[in-house]
Amino acid sequence: MVRTAAMPRWPAGRRGVAPRGRKKAWRWLRRILAAAIGAGFVFPFYWTFVISTDRPGQFDSFPPVLLPQWDWANWSRAWALAPWPRLFLNTVFIASCTVILCLITSTLAGFAFGVLQFPGRKALMALTLSVLMMPQTVLIIPDYVLASDIHWVDTYWIQIVPWGASVFGIFLVRQFFVTMPREILDAATVDGAGRMQILWRIGVPAVRPALVIISITVFIASWNSFLWPLVMTRSESIQPIEVGLSSFAGANGTDIPGLAAAATFTTLPLIIFFLLLQRQFVRGALSAAGSIR
Amino acid sequence: MASAAAVLVLTASACAGGGSSSSSSSASSSRAANAAAITKPVTITFDEVEAAGSLKTAMQSAVTAFEKANPKITVSLTAYSTYGPLLTAETAQVAAGKAPTIGQAYESWAEKFATSKVIVPISSLPGAASTMTTDLSTFYTGVQNDLKLPDGQVWMWPFSKSLQVLFYNADLLKADGITSTPTTWTQFAADLKTASKNGVVGITIDPGNATEGVTSGEEWLEELAASNGTQVYTSDGAPQFTSPAVVAALDYLVTLKKEGALATGTNYPGETALGAKKGLVDLSSSAGYYYEQQTVGGKFPLTTTVLPSGSSGSADEMAGANLVVFSSATTEQKAAAWKFLQFLSGPAEQAAWSAATGYYPVTSQALTEPAMASYLKQNPWVSTTITGLNNAIVDPPYSWVTQCGIDLSTAISAALSGTSASSALSTAQSACTTAKSNA
Amino acid sequence: MIGTTTGAAGSAGTGQTGGRKRAKRVGHGTERDFRRTKKGWLYSGPAVLIFGAFIILPTFYTFYVSLWNWNVLNPSLSVYKGLGNYKELLTATDPGFLQTLWNSLYFTGAMVIAGTAISLCLALLLQRGGSIMNASRVAIYLPNATPLIATSLIWGWIYNPQFGLANWVLHSLHLPTSPWVEGQATSMPAVILFSLWHEVGFTMIVFLGGLTIINDEYSEAARVDGAGPWQEFWYVTWPQLRPVTSFVIVITTILSLQSFTQFYQLSGGGPNNATTTLSYLVYEESQVLQNTGYAAALAVVLFLITVFFTFVRWRTTPGVSATS
Repeated sequence: MVRTAAMPRWPAGRRGVAPRGRKKAWRWLRRILAAAIGAGFVFPFYWTFVISTDRPGQFDSFPPVLLPQWDWANWSRAWALAPWPRLFLNTVFIASCTVILCLITSTLAGFAFGVLQFPGRKALMALTLSVLMMPQTVLIIPDYVLASDIHWVDTYWIQIVPWGASVFGIFLVRQFFVTMPREILDAATVDGAGRMQILWRIGVPAVRPALVIISITVFIASWNSFLWPLVMTRSESIQPIEVGLSSFAGANGTDIPGLAAAATFTTLPLIIFFLLLQRQFVRGALSAAGSIR
Repeated sequence: MASAAAVLVLTASACAGGGSSSSSSSASSSRAANAAAITKPVTITFDEVEAAGSLKTAMQSAVTAFEKANPKITVSLTAYSTYGPLLTAETAQVAAGKAPTIGQAYESWAEKFATSKVIVPISSLPGAASTMTTDLSTFYTGVQNDLKLPDGQVWMWPFSKSLQVLFYNADLLKADGITSTPTTWTQFAADLKTASKNGVVGITIDPGNATEGVTSGEEWLEELAASNGTQVYTSDGAPQFTSPAVVAALDYLVTLKKEGALATGTNYPGETALGAKKGLVDLSSSAGYYYEQQTVGGKFPLTTTVLPSGSSGSADEMAGANLVVFSSATTEQKAAAWKFLQFLSGPAEQAAWSAATGYYPVTSQALTEPAMASYLKQNPWVSTTITGLNNAIVDPPYSWVTQCGIDLSTAISAALSGTSASSALSTAQSACTTAKSNA
Repeated sequence: MIGTTTGAAGSAGTGQTGGRKRAKRVGHGTERDFRRTKKGWLYSGPAVLIFGAFIILPTFYTFYVSLWNWNVLNPSLSVYKGLGNYKELLTATDPGFLQTLWNSLYFTGAMVIAGTAISLCLALLLQRGGSIMNASRVAIYLPNATPLIATSLIWGWIYNPQFGLANWVLHSLHLPTSPWVEGQATSMPAVILFSLWHEVGFTMIVFLGGLTIINDEYSEAARVDGAGPWQEFWYVTWPQLRPVTSFVIVITTILSLQSFTQFYQLSGGGPNNATTTLSYLVYEESQVLQNTGYAAALAVVLFLITVFFTFVRWRTTPGVSATS
């Protein structure tokens, strides 16, 4: 048996060999099953859209109306109830800044934990991991007091900086560094490069898939945040979109079609963003997951 | 090192929390009591829940009118979608030493604020001492009593009060041969049963939970118990959940459920069912009037009535938060706040507010205001039910009442899920008693 | 992420040993020099500073506050209680501590077991290429990318016993309808179903990644020896997936124990405390009831439980060495 190195390969399976008879049937069965399951997962989104375009009196009919009615009255009503364009811009700005900050802190800390050796490293790593384990609802009042003391309440700062470090991001970058062959980084020392240069010139490009994943997941998480900005901000001029949605839901809770419209147009940009980038994301995620050993 | 850090944060928040400096307010207030005129421009902040629809527009008109009459005062509003976020925000701001000037608050919140010395009694507001008593006497009796805390002082001021009413689908009433709306709970149950067929469930209620807070379903239980002769709390805030009247009230709901005449849900389910023509009646706050109309959307006429009576008469629960003034406000802000409070509770503004939102005016003087004339004509139920504000039941103003309300909600959903009413209530009774003794 | 060996093993992957001699003493010294440094903590500084200020410091504050009858409005009025809050927490009723703990473990257990199994099956199903497969993978991940608030609202409506789609589907299939989140026994399963819909996309992607590095020649060898697909999976694929599976389980455990938004939005902790988990109770006690010290004690207990499960998992996974 020829020993070949195990290389990450996508997709798995033999190439160039035409599937025969029974295999072909299995393949089609798989495709049908995959399509059905995918459709099932996506169905609630479709349903939201249908409700949002229902004519008055249809959303609560039984049996339910399953096809979109293309009545946009709910959309215009929901649109008028909050300054959505402003909230949307706020969200994009906040999410983008958070992503940039996370990339910086994750790369630096991932490098520190994955490559460098220094006293206290294990303790810092354990501390970082433990950050995930405290429920946010108790931290929010002391955080508010802190935010107030540094005059960050009702600002963009308070929505960006506290989220500018990601445990997931740090450990992901660390993972890449740990499984990276030593020679890659060592090559840089030939030219007498300093540590930061090694990181910048060699390290960062080498962990690119991790950075792509971090960008996408942090952007999504920032877009989805609602409890923190709800407490920390009160001006619509700087609030993000999910606060707008939850306020809308709290105040107009029984207007289901309007709610569905609002849910659709607050989620649609994110879905489009994700669909455009999903190939990079999946590719990056796969190589990241493949490096978990 | 950990404890040093903790002390650091502790000290920061203690300093920010205003400490125990309440003694200064009474000294300054007696001096400033008659200096009610505002001489310099002042801004006051108001945290409230009038966040959408007619509530939002009505509040904004009120502020505009007030600022016009008081050019040196600016009112800065911050609206929250519901009471939950409002409480979190008020707490966080007080903890950080940046409390608003005025905030909406339930009675139980006010009690905690008062014992923590972060709000001030109304009489201590500059300009209030001379006119407060007169103003109070213009309010309905029930409203007057609702403003006091256990120490007997007036710590809150009213502006949005509601009672529960019943909204019927008039077409269904006719179709089911119900010629007059029920006047007793027994008759009510019978009518619900008659109507529950062909996909219609007589009434859908929300028993309540910690996320939603006070709901109509839980208020209904309190009203049923009171109409059976015993209120769920004594005037000292002690629970009486296991008394026969309360058990009978819960059994009433359980029986309705068993007969298919009652369903449960969240997020104003009665309104949704009514609007979908799948419910005969919705029990709701009068302030839900405009929401009901929107949901019904003209599909059928609504008949609005007062609650039926039980063996000991009828009981209706008053709801709606009051206003409190925080102690960290400056003297000028407190003086301006008093003016705003007076304005909001005055006959003219109450008439406008009530007509726009469905809340009841807190003073009978509003009923003769021009702003209310057409509203009263279109809604005769307002005039017939408003005297209920004199003797409405209301939860006693103690901080543990919030926990006890949740315990009652749990008891309702437990009983409707199969637990016996008496055992569900006895669980709630002991949990509430523990909460009271821990407070 | 968890349990990796250090770089020495990494070089085996490329199969290249040093064909070229590296200069050992150039510039900053030996090739190992740049790694060993006392100032390494500076690199982790920014992240640790952010965590320190906004999470770790308030966490210590929470530990401290849990020993008091803490008055968050006016801290000077707080009364020291020692372990009093912890005693009260253990003897609480309606809901009792054991019930709350059970709800948390029920939810977490279901998410870990069902979530891992389902996402693994989906990964096995969807590991081939092709546009349908790709679209399906994206569709399954999509719920994870969308805001929990928005999706909870919609599922709340889907679950409505009178008007919701869920009961209409059951009705059409001539199955008995369910009260979903309105029923005491069905509420937690309903929340679990929603949470699985939201989470399996993420863990599926992780498993897909793990599957790409499965050593094909072992699988081939097994097939040549006559192993069926199940045996191939059990004896060849599954052992190689262990680190990935371990990662998935740890992450799911931590996230599930902390889960809050769906309980807040979908079920409100009810009915009759059926879905009141520790995390939801922390919210209820701290934000609704303002029992700050008591809530802090609950948070500490939840923290310790999370640490316990993470640690236990860490130690008991065979073949996964501790992080260096």
